[in-house]
Amino acid sequence: MTFTEYLTRNYDNLLELGLEHLNLVLISMGIALVVGLPLGIVAHRNKLLRNPILSTAGFFLTLPSLALFAIFIPVFGIGAPPAVAALSLYALLPIVSNTATGLASVSPAVVKASQGMGMTGYQRLLRVELPLAWPVILTGIRVSTQVVVGIAAIAALVGGPGLGTEIFRGLRSQGNASAPNLVYGGTLGVIVLALLLDAAFVLIRRLTISRGIR
Amino acid sequence: MADTALATRATGASDRAVPRRGGSRLSWFGMPVLLAVILGATYLWVGSLELDTIERRTLNAEQLTRSTLEHLHMTAVSTAIVIVLAIPLGVLLSRPFARPVVPAVLGVANIGQGVPSFGLITIVILWTSLGFWPMIIGLVACSMLPILRNTMVGLEQVDRTAVKASRGMGMSPLQVLLRVELPLAFPVMIAGIRTALIINVGTATLGTFFGQGGLGFIVYNGITLNRTPVLITGVVLVSALALLVDYLAGALGRLLAPRGL
Repeated sequence: MTFTEYLTRNYDNLLELGLEHLNLVLISMGIALVVGLPLGIVAHRNKLLRNPILSTAGFFLTLPSLALFAIFIPVFGIGAPPAVAALSLYALLPIVSNTATGLASVSPAVVKASQGMGMTGYQRLLRVELPLAWPVILTGIRVSTQVVVGIAAIAALVGGPGLGTEIFRGLRSQGNASAPNLVYGGTLGVIVLALLLDAAFVLIRRLTISRGIR
Repeated sequence: MADTALATRATGASDRAVPRRGGSRLSWFGMPVLLAVILGATYLWVGSLELDTIERRTLNAEQLTRSTLEHLHMTAVSTAIVIVLAIPLGVLLSRPFARPVVPAVLGVANIGQGVPSFGLITIVILWTSLGFWPMIIGLVACSMLPILRNTMVGLEQVDRTAVKASRGMGMSPLQVLLRVELPLAFPVMIAGIRTALIINVGTATLGTFFGQGGLGFIVYNGITLNRTPVLITGVVLVSALALLVDYLAGALGRLLAPRGL
């Protein structure tokens, strides 16, 4: 069977695996954002906590991906949950560090001006600092997403869902005539998903960056 | 691949577990002490368990040493090859005559970031065969980009006036490259090498799926045999190895950095 034949016959299957993969990425990114943005804000505001927070987030990115997936198996069992936990930790560093960097790059004069206008610390953060830092933060989120899309392929090795299962199936049926197609299909699917998500970020950028600094 | 984020981290300002030269004692010794404590605690914990025969088949000194050595072997060979290939290539691409092809290379490199390492190695294996060298080719392909990119970026950000000044002093282009540009680009280049090293340690963990053993063997045995002590031992060993390698590369980079920087 040629690769094109494989693609036309397995279109549904690949699409479904792609959606599983996307789902895995989106859930992990959601968790990473809920945890990472506040951590980045804390790292910016508290000089003492800055280094511990950033080195802890960097620590996770240094760990081999299979190890990070595996360590959650005794806790969550085999399947999607350990993959989500591991991917969320992988996604953390670019979000946290770019949030801290972005906030630090906001001009002190602007911060002073907002204080002068009588804004509380909370208002200042939400209405001045975060909108100005948003382009940098968004870049961090985008980098994280790219990392997570690639590493999520390894989830299949710990019984997780996604396009990695197709690659793994191909690897296990090595020597079989259809094996290369499975591997190409899974790999190509991941690349296409990465490109689509990157394109989505161009759109998100346009829609969410404050009009004054666009 | 994790290289974009790792590169962000490697060039980032202050998140270092590795200290600057002359940094405080705590920052020099923090990571080794932490690793010693974690490894010691794991050793004591596993030692206190009554291991069944299945666990003992993996958790013995001989097997653990073999897996660690296999892992180090894959990491060292692939990193050495990738350095030898990517640095000269990066230097070539940063020369004026290569300017027309640079956008094409960077474009391919950007798409390359989206390629999952697991898929890439599997494809290399399918094209060749199971074996040590195919695995190495896969690892090299996975870790090529950060060194290549950092070499190019490092050379690009060298102050043009410094290059002009050295030309004015009568240095030949080769002398300028060796004595001015490369030393000034060193910090960025070493960050790329360090990133490649971490990618290789991490990706070598997949070696067990391609018949090459390594510490991934212990981890995956722990998963498939459903034995938590085996799994934890594998995870601790491979993580400690990655952190140690990262620490050593960082420390070496600081020690070797040109004095003036």
